[in-house]
Amino acid sequence: MRATLERASPARTARRPTRPQLIRAVITAVLLLFVLFALPQLMSLYYVDTMTQVAVYSMVTLALGLLVGRVGLFSLGQAAVLAIGAWAAARLLFATTQPYPLVLLEAGLITMVAGLLIGLPALRLRGLYLALITLMLAGAITVVLATVNFPNGGHGFTGYNGSLLHIPPIRRPSIAASDPAYFRYSVVVAILMFALVYAHIKTKPGRAWAAIRQSEPAALAAGINIWFYKLWAFALASFITGVAGGVLAGAIHYLYSINFPTQDSITLLAVTLMGGVYSLWGAVVAALLYQFLPALLNNWGVSADWLIILFGLGVLQVLTTAPAGLADQVPRDLARLGRFLRGRLGRRPAPAGTPGGTPGGDPA
Amino acid sequence: MPPWQDFEPFIVSGLALGGVYALSGVGLVVLYRATGVLYLAFGAVGALGALIAWSLATKAGAPGWAGWLACVAVAGAVTLGYGLLFGPALARRDPLIKAVATIGLTLILYGAMDLLWTTSGGQARSLALPTDNGGFTVASIQVTWTQVIALAAGVVLTAGTGTFLRFTKLGTAMRAMANDRDITATLGVPVRKVEAAAWLGCGVLAGIAGLLLADLVALDATTLTFLVISSLAAVLIARLRSITVTFVAAIVIGLLHDLLTPITSLSNYRDMTPFVIAAIALLVLSRHQVMTQSREEA
Repeated sequence: MRATLERASPARTARRPTRPQLIRAVITAVLLLFVLFALPQLMSLYYVDTMTQVAVYSMVTLALGLLVGRVGLFSLGQAAVLAIGAWAAARLLFATTQPYPLVLLEAGLITMVAGLLIGLPALRLRGLYLALITLMLAGAITVVLATVNFPNGGHGFTGYNGSLLHIPPIRRPSIAASDPAYFRYSVVVAILMFALVYAHIKTKPGRAWAAIRQSEPAALAAGINIWFYKLWAFALASFITGVAGGVLAGAIHYLYSINFPTQDSITLLAVTLMGGVYSLWGAVVAALLYQFLPALLNNWGVSADWLIILFGLGVLQVLTTAPAGLADQVPRDLARLGRFLRGRLGRRPAPAGTPGGTPGGDPA
Repeated sequence: MPPWQDFEPFIVSGLALGGVYALSGVGLVVLYRATGVLYLAFGAVGALGALIAWSLATKAGAPGWAGWLACVAVAGAVTLGYGLLFGPALARRDPLIKAVATIGLTLILYGAMDLLWTTSGGQARSLALPTDNGGFTVASIQVTWTQVIALAAGVVLTAGTGTFLRFTKLGTAMRAMANDRDITATLGVPVRKVEAAAWLGCGVLAGIAGLLLADLVALDATTLTFLVISSLAAVLIARLRSITVTFVAAIVIGLLHDLLTPITSLSNYRDMTPFVIAAIALLVLSRHQVMTQSREEA
C-alpha cells in the first residue's frame, strides 16, 4: 500500500508524502498483514467463511462505489452482474483445467463484455432512467438465470444437468484448497482489485470521472469524452464484479440461482451508500455490513430482518445528513470525540488530531 | 403453438393484472409529477396493507371490509408520513436521490414485514376477496368480479386522475408544481399541502393495488414488494409523464405477461416481459437527447 501511495504521488511535483499520509499507509499495511496472517488463525471456521464473503463482496461494493461515488452512475443491478461473473467462472472451472487466476481473469473479461453490451445502449440514459434500466436488466437476468441455472458439471453450453445426483463442487485453486487458505487467496485478489481502482482514481480516468460527476456539460466543455469515460467506468466495474463472482464460485462450491435475487442489488446499493462511496474504505465497511453483520447476528440468534431495517434507515440517513457514509462519518466523529475528551480532561488546547482518528497515530 | 382456447383465460387474467399495473402506474406518475419523487416503496406499502388486512381477517376475526379499509388507510398513512418527513428535506435534491431514498423506506418495510409475518415456516397466506366467487362467462371464458374490479379500477382511476388533474384546482396546482416548484410557490400555491395531497393519494392507490394484487397474484411480502417493478416499467415507457401512455403500457405488459403462460418454450421467461418491453422502449425513446435538462439539474 505504501508503494502504491508513493507511485501515485506524481514525481513531477516532487512532493514527499505528508505525515498523515505516511501514518495512514503504515496503518493500512499493518492491517493488511494482520488480516492475511493473523486473522485466519484467530477465527473459527464459521467466521473464516464469513470473512471470505466479506472479501468477495468488498470487490462488489468497490465496483458499485466507483460507479456511484466517482462517476455518479447509480446501478441497481449489481447482483445480476455478480451472477454473470459467477456463472462464467463456474462454467470455465467445470469445462477446463486452466489455473484459477486465469479463470478469474477470463470471468472478469466475460462479465466486462456483458457489462459493455448492457452499458453501450444504457449509457445514453442518464440519472434516474439509467438506474431504473439497470434494475430492469437485473430483473431480466435473474429470470434468465432461474431458467438456465448455474453450471453443475453437466454438458452443453449451460453446463447444467437437472438429473445429476452427485453434483461435483466447484473447484478451488490447489494452493488454496482449505478455507483459511482460500480466505487469504480472496483477500489477495481483493487487494489487487482495490489497487486497480486506486490506480485509476489517481490518474487521468479518475480526474475525468470527477469532472463528469460534477457537471457533464462542464466536462464536455473541458474536452473530456464523456461517453468513453463513462463506458470505461462501466467496464471496469463489471470486470471487478466479474472477478468477485469468480472468487465467490470457489468460495461456496455450489451455485444456485436463488442465491442471486433481484433484491440483493437493492440491498447492495444500500450498504454501499452506507459504507461511503467517496472512499475506498467505504467498500470494506459496506462489505462488513453486508456479510459480517448478518453472520454475527445469526450467531447471536437475532433475525437478519433487523439488519434490513437498519440498512433502510441507513440509506435515509446517508442521503439526508451524511452523504459520505460511515467511512467518513465515524472517523470524523471519533476525532471530534477525541478533541472533546482531551479538551475536557486536559484543559489543554486541543491539537488538530490525526485525520481518520484511528488508533495508533502516536503524537510523541 | 397451443390452440387459441388455451390463451382465452389468460386474456382475462392479463387484463386484470394490467388494470392493477395501470392504477399503480398512475399513482406513481402523479406523485412524480407533483413532487419529483419516484416512489419505489409503492409495492412494499401495498404489501404491508394487505398483510395487515390478512391479520385482521384471520387472527382478529374482523369483518372483511374492516381489513380492506385498514389496508388502504395504513398504506396512505405510511406514504403520507414518509412524504411529510422526508419530502421537504430532499425537495431540492436530484430526482435520482429522491428515488433512492424511497429504497430506504422499502427496506425498512420489507424487513419489518419479514419479521412480523415470517415466511420461514413455509406457511403460505392468501387473501381472498368475496368477489372471487361470483362472476360470469363471456364466450366460454370464466370471469370473476375481482378481475372486473381490477380492470375497472385501472380504467376509472386513469380517467378520473386525468380529469382531476385537468379540471380541479388541486390538480392544476399539481401540474404547475410539475413544471416549476419555486414559481408555483411564488404564485401563492400552498406547495407543502399540495405535495401532501399527492403523497396521500399515491399511498391510497398503493393500498388498493396491494389488496388487489394480494388476491390476484399472491400474498407474500417479497412478491408484492417487487411487483412494483412491473408498474415501473409502464411508468418508464411513459417517461414519467403521460398517464394515458402509462395505462396503455400497463395493459400491454399485463396481457403479454399472461399470454406467454401457455407457450411452454417461453413460459419460464414471461416474468421478463416488463423488463424487456421497458428496456426496448426506453432505448428507442432516448435516441434524441439534450445535454442539459434544466429542471432536473437545477
